[in-house]
Amino acid sequence: MIWTKTHKNLRVVAALAGLGALALAGCTSSAASDQASGAKAKVPLVVYSAQGYDKAMVAAFTKATGIPVKLDDNSTGPLLTQIEASKNNPNWGLLWVDGSTAFAGLDQQGLLVKGYEPSVSFNSLGAKNIPPDKSYVPTGVTLAGAMVYDRTKVTAPPTSWAQITGSQWKGAIGTNDPTQSGPTYPFIAGMMNYLGGVSAGEKFFTRLKANGLVINPTNGPTLQALTTGQIKLAFVQSSAGVGAALGDKKLVVKYLDPVTMLPSCIGIDAKAPAAEQAEAKKFAAFVLSAQGQKVMQSGDPTGDSLYYPVVDGIAPLPALPPLTGVQVQFIDPYKWGSQEAALNTWFVSNVIH
Amino acid sequence: MTDQTDFAVRAPASPGRGQRRLAWPATAGSRLASARLGKTVFWLLLSFFILAPCASFLALAVAPRLFSQGAQWFTLSYLRQTFTGVTALAITNSLWVSCAAAAFGLAVGFPVAWLAARTSLPGRRLVAGGMWLVLLLPSWLPALGWQRLVQPDGVLYRIGLSSPFITHLIMGPFGVVLLLGLRSVPFTFLAVTAGLAGLGQEFEDAARVHGAGRLAALRLIMPILAPAIWSALAINFAESVSDFGVAATLAYSSNFPLGTYQLYAAINNFPPSFPAAAAMGWLLVAAVALPLALQARALRGRSYEVLSGRSRQVVRRQLTRPGTVVAVAGVGLFYLCALGVPGFGAVSGSLLGDLGGSFSLTLANYRAVFHEGGQFGPLARSLGYGTITATITVIGGFVAARFLAQRKTKATRLLDFMLLAAVALPSVVFGAGYIFAYNLPIMSTLGINLYQTVLLLVIAYVAASLPTNARVLVGAVSQLQPSLKDAARAHGAGELAAWARGVLPAVSRPIVMAWLLTFCGTFLELPLSQLLYAPNDPPASVSINDNLSTYHFGVGMAQSVLAVGIALAAVAVVLGGYRLLAPEGWRRIGGTVRG
Repeated sequence: MIWTKTHKNLRVVAALAGLGALALAGCTSSAASDQASGAKAKVPLVVYSAQGYDKAMVAAFTKATGIPVKLDDNSTGPLLTQIEASKNNPNWGLLWVDGSTAFAGLDQQGLLVKGYEPSVSFNSLGAKNIPPDKSYVPTGVTLAGAMVYDRTKVTAPPTSWAQITGSQWKGAIGTNDPTQSGPTYPFIAGMMNYLGGVSAGEKFFTRLKANGLVINPTNGPTLQALTTGQIKLAFVQSSAGVGAALGDKKLVVKYLDPVTMLPSCIGIDAKAPAAEQAEAKKFAAFVLSAQGQKVMQSGDPTGDSLYYPVVDGIAPLPALPPLTGVQVQFIDPYKWGSQEAALNTWFVSNVIH
Repeated sequence: MTDQTDFAVRAPASPGRGQRRLAWPATAGSRLASARLGKTVFWLLLSFFILAPCASFLALAVAPRLFSQGAQWFTLSYLRQTFTGVTALAITNSLWVSCAAAAFGLAVGFPVAWLAARTSLPGRRLVAGGMWLVLLLPSWLPALGWQRLVQPDGVLYRIGLSSPFITHLIMGPFGVVLLLGLRSVPFTFLAVTAGLAGLGQEFEDAARVHGAGRLAALRLIMPILAPAIWSALAINFAESVSDFGVAATLAYSSNFPLGTYQLYAAINNFPPSFPAAAAMGWLLVAAVALPLALQARALRGRSYEVLSGRSRQVVRRQLTRPGTVVAVAGVGLFYLCALGVPGFGAVSGSLLGDLGGSFSLTLANYRAVFHEGGQFGPLARSLGYGTITATITVIGGFVAARFLAQRKTKATRLLDFMLLAAVALPSVVFGAGYIFAYNLPIMSTLGINLYQTVLLLVIAYVAASLPTNARVLVGAVSQLQPSLKDAARAHGAGELAAWARGVLPAVSRPIVMAWLLTFCGTFLELPLSQLLYAPNDPPASVSINDNLSTYHFGVGMAQSVLAVGIALAAVAVVLGGYRLLAPEGWRRIGGTVRG
């Protein structure tokens, strides 16, 4: 009797397990069948993106091509965490975030498709940011470490990087934490590149810390610290600064020489099915088309849309300060990308704490 | 043991039921087998959905090559690193701050729970609702509110109440303990309220009849509430040690590193160092041994089964006028600190169009939320996720609490440690662990693609909520006497009906509380959602975080305010529904009468 009852229970459990397996199979069968059908059918393209205009772009792309897209819209940090944690069995098809150093790191791990370049005419900003192995595609450029200040409180802003370590700016300068803010590492690496190397760069940031450098997690809180008067100068991503200045007319954005390029890039998963890779290439080409650029410039007008275009024939939005007379620096993402973890750790240990 | 006892109790069943009596041994035997099977299934589920992801992540600390996160099959270097530099400082800070916060939570939560449950405190019905609001707020929100108030050039400075002393006090270890402690109060409140609900008037009456004063009666009652008190302390400690919201905001701005922030920094770095984060995870897990050891030592060998069919309704104590004033002031001060300040921070942040540069108010951020497409989908989705998660979690949490409340064996001790260790691990550990454990290539080969599906996200929500849920329920469940169900069984009810008629009425209130606790915790949960959500279907927290961390701070704050409002409405619906729909007898248990 006991065994009979137990067997009955076991049968119930087995039946439930079977139902569960069926449910699982059901929830995954479409993906499996999609993969099995190969390149002929339109498979869902999984886009990992941290861009403010990505929803608008995905909608326009699907409308134009009929290709279904699944969008994981997240901050850069969690997206890269997902990619690294799932690299044995990746689920993404295309990554679209700011900062070429991360793409260089992914490329060095063999995670990106190489040798793809959309057939568009890149301008000088775009051409500088195409890697030799064409493992990722630049889609726009913002600037790392743009200086933002309140014109009613700061009448004589600094005009060089050397001046910001002066005593008149003690406790008045703020920037972001590179482990939480994607655009901040390129700023740190850019300063080190400009000053002649890691050692000189570390001395510069150590002097800034001694001068009371205020660190906030990301662009938003740093700009808030500026507008509430905790700091007088904020060094943030240019699009964040210009976006804030659109809402608060007292704010001014200036670029100290040299300012570092921060390209937004697209990379394609090397382990994705061929059909999905082909769709990802179509997506990248669409983004750089005239239609795609229109979407990029209108999808997030007070945020990520404030970028400098990388293809000929597209003008930046009027709110952006002109780059004429500004020295815009390119840093080698392969050289600086491989040092990102070590330099971020140094920054956290020696500048933040 | 329990099943044998049940059998012994039921053996002398009422006469005239010969046939049924003949069936007793077989029925008891099959019940024993069912119970064993149930336990096996329970342990299997725990192993698959809590142990496996945590173990997958933690294993990386010593074997990073296991999931291609390094070259070594075995190394101790990452564990050694945690005892050096900023990481060691952060872990030490986390430990002492969590101890202090747990004590603070108990010191405030216990009197508030007692005042609300046992006295004539004016507005006592609002106290429980307020606690849900405290629980609903993600911990970063109070932190931002306090910062906005006391920071240099903050609100206090602008209205001429600048005080560097207060700024220094809040923007430092004291402020961190205060915020984590305030967040611990609802956990204490829930655990102690559940314990008080099962504590009938008879114990206090017995003490008073034998000449004990009020203080002596309290000394009698306190030990009976020991499971709830220790449970509260343990959960307060574990929740504080795993908190990220305060660690990433107030503690961060105060240059006071905490362990969870260091762990997140290791994962958010590029490339992320999962082994370093796992090594810190080991220390956080080891830390929960401290409250558990104390709890085990305090409760060893005692029984706390006081809730039976004979439990008497409690007489509500009438507070004197001065007592009322002090009690109202104390409870009011708590809510001012826990809700008033963060509420001010969130609402003001959502009404300022210029990132707080001026005091000019605008509804622009709310207009942006309403006019921007796709802002309400995430909110509706999170409501659904929260409802499903809370329902499953309460069932699992009740089962786990029953095991925890039973006689201590190696299995229950292991369960106890496992559940509390899971609470102590930050959610991001669960999230990354789920990717490692459930996105193995072999699973895709078998056609099982769970990663980035709603199914895995809900499973992860349940797994992350269940430990806290079980800890909150254990106080109430440990008070249940077997006689409650036995009585129903003796009157011919089947197993399920006996539970529904005998046990459910006694624990319905704690179960509703546990459901709401999980719902609130899931509704705005961020780290798991970020790593596991199904593309195209973002939950509310991901959508809000996108705005807060980038350019649209005000819009994000407006979304937060709306989300908290919607969740609060959901809580009101559930509590109102319970009041209207639950039988009067259910609500009577744990209720009071005027003294």
